[in-house]
Amino acid sequence: MPDLENEIRNMIAQIVEKDPSQVTLDAKFFEELGMDSMMALEIMAGMEKKYKITIPEEKLTKLTTLRETVAVAKEYLEKKNA
Amino acid sequence: MLNIEEIQKILPQKFPFLMIDRVLELEPGKRIVALKNISINESFFGGHFPGQPVMPGVLIIEAMAQAAIIMFYAPENIPGDKQASYYLGSVKVRFLSPLTAGDQLKIEVEPIKVISGAGLVRAKASAGGREVASGELSFSVKHG
Repeated sequence: MPDLENEIRNMIAQIVEKDPSQVTLDAKFFEELGMDSMMALEIMAGMEKKYKITIPEEKLTKLTTLRETVAVAKEYLEKKNA
Repeated sequence: MLNIEEIQKILPQKFPFLMIDRVLELEPGKRIVALKNISINESFFGGHFPGQPVMPGVLIIEAMAQAAIIMFYAPENIPGDKQASYYLGSVKVRFLSPLTAGDQLKIEVEPIKVISGAGLVRAKASAGGREVASGELSFSVKHG
């Protein structure tokens, strides 16, 4: 899902105030992109709003890279459409 | 709903930094409507601006943040946590109309997403039916 990946990349880039090119699939949010827990919460809330899904709190620890984040979004989009 | 004595028991902020005078409606963790009366005696009007009193926008944000604290941490919701510290994380607020002496600032806050130890809220400020500011605030809480 290239579109999902790019949409989420742009959202993350805006929240961590980096260029989207720095948000690679495996760049580590906390160590490499300077993310904190409040930014992670904003990303979660941003995805919930954009895709009209609900992501439970325990998934927050999963949000460590773009790859993982896209996988979480995909999982809940599939659940919604099931 | 909550008078100033009760508000002072909940908020860690004290004089001269109390930005809420009264709570009109409160559903703990879900919604709050709170008031601040703005008087010409506010100390910031001395410098902001001489001869042209305008309430600083940052203090409207502070009022939003204090209303959010009361909404989440009113005694009914979390009993007796007096050691909690609150940290504002990000603010995305648009200012729509200036506030001056004689205005009654009405703040409405509701959560967008809350997890343990952090939250994201939507806040709206109005005065006499006109919208003054609106936006989103994120914050974290550390319990002492």
